[in-house]
Amino acid sequence: VDSDRIVTTSLFERVQGIAADVFDVPRRRIAPDTSPEQLPVWDSVRHLSLVLALEAHFGLCFDPEEVGRMTTVGRIAELVAAKLGDPAPR
Amino acid sequence: VIQIAPYGPNRVEAVRRFNRRVAATGFAFPERPAAACTLAVEGDEVRGAYLLYPQRFLIRGEPVEVAHYRLPLSEGSVNRAYVGIGLQLLRHALERQVRLYALGMGGSHQPLPRMLAAAGWSLTDVPFYFKIVHPHRFLRGIRALRSSAPRRFALDLAAWTGAGWLVTRLLQRRVRGGGLEVVEGFGAWADVLWNESSSGYGGLAWRDARTLDERYGDARFHRLRVAASGWAVVLDTPMREDRYFGDLRVGTLVDALAVPGRAVEVVQAATAYLERRGVDVVISNQLHRAWGDALRRAGCRRGPSNFVFAASPRLAELAGDASDLHVNRGDGDGPIHL
Repeated sequence: VDSDRIVTTSLFERVQGIAADVFDVPRRRIAPDTSPEQLPVWDSVRHLSLVLALEAHFGLCFDPEEVGRMTTVGRIAELVAAKLGDPAPR
Repeated sequence: VIQIAPYGPNRVEAVRRFNRRVAATGFAFPERPAAACTLAVEGDEVRGAYLLYPQRFLIRGEPVEVAHYRLPLSEGSVNRAYVGIGLQLLRHALERQVRLYALGMGGSHQPLPRMLAAAGWSLTDVPFYFKIVHPHRFLRGIRALRSSAPRRFALDLAAWTGAGWLVTRLLQRRVRGGGLEVVEGFGAWADVLWNESSSGYGGLAWRDARTLDERYGDARFHRLRVAASGWAVVLDTPMREDRYFGDLRVGTLVDALAVPGRAVEVVQAATAYLERRGVDVVISNQLHRAWGDALRRAGCRRGPSNFVFAASPRLAELAGDASDLHVNRGDGDGPIHL
């Protein structure tokens, strides 16, 4: 993980980009409050793909409790930030 | 926040409410708490659940502890707010045992196998074999094929004209099985057979006499010992409005074990036993190539399978080629729906 880039680049935008790729939708459709209820393509398999993509991109591994807190894209970005030691996603 | 919790008596009502909410999936979680049960809870409500059964396998000649990942149910199936629970349950199970397998699941197109495949699991269809014993009754009764008016007409025509009888007799061999004994249980002879035969497979669940007596102790199982060759466990089930078999009488070769090279004798003896009892069709799911060959030599044909064996990455890595594994309807949660 290139920690300098995490500090200088908006973490949310990076999570947003990964989510847009996984869900195959334009980035503008991914907002912090975007949830599976709002995005029809966000099913259990895409959710898994999103988690795997985030883990591969950031070099992380989420435990079951963390997976249980992934209810919106914003919350997912917060979890990524916390695991990277970044105080808040920007 | 969804948290993982054991299933204690205080959660029974919550599990009942959960089962009512996910009823559309066609599955229900056991309402009696057991050590195998794990729940995903949100406050007082259950949002997901799974069962985990530790089991001993013999893989490449070595005893290995694995676990059967069974009946993972998620509220995400009926409420999109909970689509992440399936992954949460899976990760929790993998934290407990990295060598997991799942079995059945209704075909690889279903949500659970799709998710397991996305998670890197290895999926293999367990081939389905069948032999029509009574063509007239089979053609009139097989629901899985009588799905449209033209199909029903063609099958009725074949049944009433005898064309079905002629075709099935030409395609299938009649077999005569000998040296068969119906036994009450598995004794020392089964342990000898286990020791002689188990290393012939890349991997299989433990099948010594004690394990078999526990698994097949119920009176509905017919336990067959085939002299000098092996054993088989079969079922003779009169179906009632079954979604696939209608009201046919179905004979199932559930499980079997044979000394290397003798699987065909066991299959022929078991098939002949079921035919003598008057079943309309004999069926079996067998993954290992030796048992597939034996079924074909006994006159069975291969049909479409909706029975899937899924191995977690660590189990698949250890077990190797799936067609070298001995997996059938006796594995997992046993011959349900039969």
